[in-house]
Amino acid sequence: MAALFDLKNVAKSFVKGKEKITIFEDLNMEIEEGDFVAIMGPSGSGKTTLLNMLGGVDQPTGGEVWFDGARIDKLSEGQLAKWRANNVGFIFQFYNLMPMLNAARNVELPLLLTRLGSKQRTKNVMTALKLVELEDRAKHMPNEMSGGQQQRVAIARAIVSDPKLLLCDEPTGDLDRATADEILKTLQLLNTEFNKTIVMVTHDPAAAKYAKRTLHLDKGEFVEAEQAA
Amino acid sequence: MTAVWHYISLIFRLLIRIVTAPVWLPFWIVWWLFEKTGINRLIVKVAMALGLYLVFKNLTRKPLRLFLTMFATFVAFLIYGTLSTFESAIDAGVELSADDRLIVVNKINFTQPLPISYVNRVKGLENLTDVTHLNWFGGYYQDPQNFMAMFAVDEDTFLTVYNEIVLTPEERQDWLGSRQGLIAGKSIADQYGWKVGDRIPINSNIFSKADGSTSWEFDVVGIYTGTDAQTDTSSVYFHYDYFNETQSFGRDFIGFIGVRTVDPAMNEGVIKAIDDLFANTPYETETVPEKVFNQAFIEQIGNLSLILGSVVFAAFFIILVIVGNSMVLAIRERTGEIGVLKTLGFKSTRIFFMILAESLLLAIFSGALGLLATSLAVVAVNQAPIQLPVLVLTPAIIIEALVIMIGLGLVTGILPAVNALRLNIIAALSRQ
Amino acid sequence: MLRLLSQIWTVIVMNVRSLPQRLWMSLAATFAVTVVVAVLLSFLAMSNGFSKTLSGTGSEDVAIVTRSGSQSELNSVIGRDSVNILSTASGIAKTADGQPFYSAELYVVVDGKKRSSGTEVNIPMRGISSLGFDLRGGIEIVEGRMFADGTNEIIVGRGILDQFSGFELGSEVAFGKTRWTVVGVFSTGGSAFESELWADARMVQDLFNRGNSFQTMRIKLSEAGNIRGLEEMIENDPRLILDVDTEAGYFAAQGEALEGIVWFGWGIGIVMGLGALAGALNTMYTSVASRASEIATLRAIGFSNVSAFFGTLVESVVLSLIGGVIGALVSYIFMDGLTTATIGASFTQVVFTFELSADLLQNGILLALVIGLVGGFFPALKAARLPVIVAFRGSA
Repeated sequence: MAALFDLKNVAKSFVKGKEKITIFEDLNMEIEEGDFVAIMGPSGSGKTTLLNMLGGVDQPTGGEVWFDGARIDKLSEGQLAKWRANNVGFIFQFYNLMPMLNAARNVELPLLLTRLGSKQRTKNVMTALKLVELEDRAKHMPNEMSGGQQQRVAIARAIVSDPKLLLCDEPTGDLDRATADEILKTLQLLNTEFNKTIVMVTHDPAAAKYAKRTLHLDKGEFVEAEQAA
Repeated sequence: MTAVWHYISLIFRLLIRIVTAPVWLPFWIVWWLFEKTGINRLIVKVAMALGLYLVFKNLTRKPLRLFLTMFATFVAFLIYGTLSTFESAIDAGVELSADDRLIVVNKINFTQPLPISYVNRVKGLENLTDVTHLNWFGGYYQDPQNFMAMFAVDEDTFLTVYNEIVLTPEERQDWLGSRQGLIAGKSIADQYGWKVGDRIPINSNIFSKADGSTSWEFDVVGIYTGTDAQTDTSSVYFHYDYFNETQSFGRDFIGFIGVRTVDPAMNEGVIKAIDDLFANTPYETETVPEKVFNQAFIEQIGNLSLILGSVVFAAFFIILVIVGNSMVLAIRERTGEIGVLKTLGFKSTRIFFMILAESLLLAIFSGALGLLATSLAVVAVNQAPIQLPVLVLTPAIIIEALVIMIGLGLVTGILPAVNALRLNIIAALSRQ
Repeated sequence: MLRLLSQIWTVIVMNVRSLPQRLWMSLAATFAVTVVVAVLLSFLAMSNGFSKTLSGTGSEDVAIVTRSGSQSELNSVIGRDSVNILSTASGIAKTADGQPFYSAELYVVVDGKKRSSGTEVNIPMRGISSLGFDLRGGIEIVEGRMFADGTNEIIVGRGILDQFSGFELGSEVAFGKTRWTVVGVFSTGGSAFESELWADARMVQDLFNRGNSFQTMRIKLSEAGNIRGLEEMIENDPRLILDVDTEAGYFAAQGEALEGIVWFGWGIGIVMGLGALAGALNTMYTSVASRASEIATLRAIGFSNVSAFFGTLVESVVLSLIGGVIGALVSYIFMDGLTTATIGASFTQVVFTFELSADLLQNGILLALVIGLVGGFFPALKAARLPVIVAFRGSA
């Protein structure tokens, strides 16, 4: 099976003030479709930058990023937006729900980018909410829900347009252990039952255990787990 | 301590509420009516159906700020609307003047008299259809402060030259057949409560009768309206013959002559013919189109439209600054959310238009409320017992206001919209 | 108490330090107040200038006599006989050679061209005698010379030269078919007389076919303000259908004509002020929101909520006052001393100068203060009530 993601000789650096900061010099990785990868590493190791590049939010300064047989690192901003809408679901540490929209409307957001009619959209939204077991909270506003519930709404939002890829940035970073486990189980379920490819950045070794494999990143390079610790 | 603060603030708030009641009460009533009649829900539905619901939700997320910004815009358009109707009413005297009507006045100044014999001499000229004459009476009713535009006229030719005056056939009959008859415009008749059939005394601050009295008796035989809503109906007319026979000095003199030409194209020739006719007489004339005369008359007051214009401009400038600023702020606060939307795959251009739509909605909705309030103010002013020209919220003013609303919406929205367009996702997400 | 003051001071300093972050917003709110105050003061200065010009025209020791009910000089007519009768009344000052000190005058309207618009407007022309010239104090010929009796010569007020074209010294003016020469320019120290053309009364009678009648009579009083002698005579002699008033009273009443402008100015000022208030509230709420965690941190340390309240209120008042002062300055620089002309009670042009007095400036500053106080009060209340917990929540 061809890799879903293929990163070839990816480099990333930027200039801050007079200083040139290099995050990656020569990063190579492959992610198979249906994989569940946890990326761990200390602050500043480049985890989030890597995730952003995978999500087409950030672009490398060198090398190639292949997704599903196509290069995405040279796409324009508009093309990337379209690509994200079709292929990627994002899950953030602080949920990033729109505070003025209720749960269902938040979940519906990505569907506004499709040609679906309002009935079909509502149907898809309810399906997604059912999957995260929040169908009874559809009309609740974000500030009326707990952190775990909000994160589950965010997951529903990420999967509602049925993307192949889920990118999670510290999805349990703001939650207590029990809630975090629930969220991670949901992700695991999405991976095993729905064949979603998941890349998850985390600090938390307990969270990483839910993944199929864990990559350790340090100073812009993948290292063995023992070295990283 | 906290309790004291609480009560102080409560009292203060109550006071502010009461003092500002005229301002917020109409808003509240509109909102309440909208809520009761379901219009509010309809607005939400329409916004949703149009795919504007993100815009709508963004707009209404901070009700206080929305209210303040809307209020500022509302105020600007209220000022704009009211002053524009006012200016338009003043200009109406010029706009509504007939192109084929000429005014013949004494060359020295229009307050100087002309001999009545001039009327017949003008009648003998070519290319004119009707000639009439008017004389300023300096009339006032009861109190010298209640002065009014009152003219002694030739009853018959007056109605043909000034055909914007509308009388019923009976009124017309009574007017032509009476000696002490008087016709008053609707607005002034309403002001003093005159009815057809009333006998009223009117004083002159210029003329007096032979016995030294300055009071004349008149019969109200007609209350005229105008052919146009903005036609001035604050003037009063009565018979020149009655005036001429009873007053004590300057007999057989008139104020000015009104002439109707066959065609406006003939005006030039007629003007020259009249002024040449009376050149080198003790009473030389100056003939001008009515439009020019009225325009000059308004200019006497000073540069009124410049003053009104500056005020409107100042009001708009304030609003532009306030609304523009709160838009920039509102969008800046949403930096993180915009980043998220972009991450979800919303195109930058889409976000750009969403923000423009937001500022446009804000400007148009509050501006429309301002115009609505203007129309109420116009009704109130027209009903009030004060001597003001008839105010009309003309379509031209409404269209101009709409254009300004759209302009305001675009100008205030463009900066934050461009900022959002350029916003880098990574910067946005890390700044939240 | 001292501790509280130092707390408030700390908050104020903190607010001021963070001002640059909210620079544009704060500038906008301040600017809005500037415009409001400038607009208000412009209207007030206009009305004030107009009424000052007219009230400065009249003098207490001169009586003005007009035909009863005529209300203005223009509408009045007084026959030679009435003039002669009234000149025998008591209370009239005497000239050096023992004659009653009075001036019978004509007041007619001629056309002039306004410089600002190029349109023809009504300009008053006064027929006067040299006695009338002496009767008015403070008149001087600033250019040229006095007109000669019995000639078609006129002298023009300084205001006329300023606002209307065609009256320059030495130029020839046509009224009807007669031609007049401008031989002098006079000044009366800014009164309404400076908006007039003066010529020999007999020549004006001829030109305007007035025979031997006049329009007004000005009488020098032997005792300032005392017109009882004249009033008694008018009352008791049925031939005299006349009104009498001191010149000061007569012009003061005319100066009230633009009082409506004051109300209009206040109306517009207050409505626009409400708009500016909306701006101030927006700014201050934003200010409080952006400093929420700082305020809460101070509160956590032990600062009182009173300091948070006053810190915010002072910021608002100071910003608004700065706006008000600038607005007052702007209107002072651009409006004070601005000369224009409008139509007065006699249907003639009155040249007047905008005048901004200290009283009026106070009004402007007061309006700014009110905007600042109200605009700061509610946000200050919000700041005072901010829960301390905000301090621990971070910026998210």
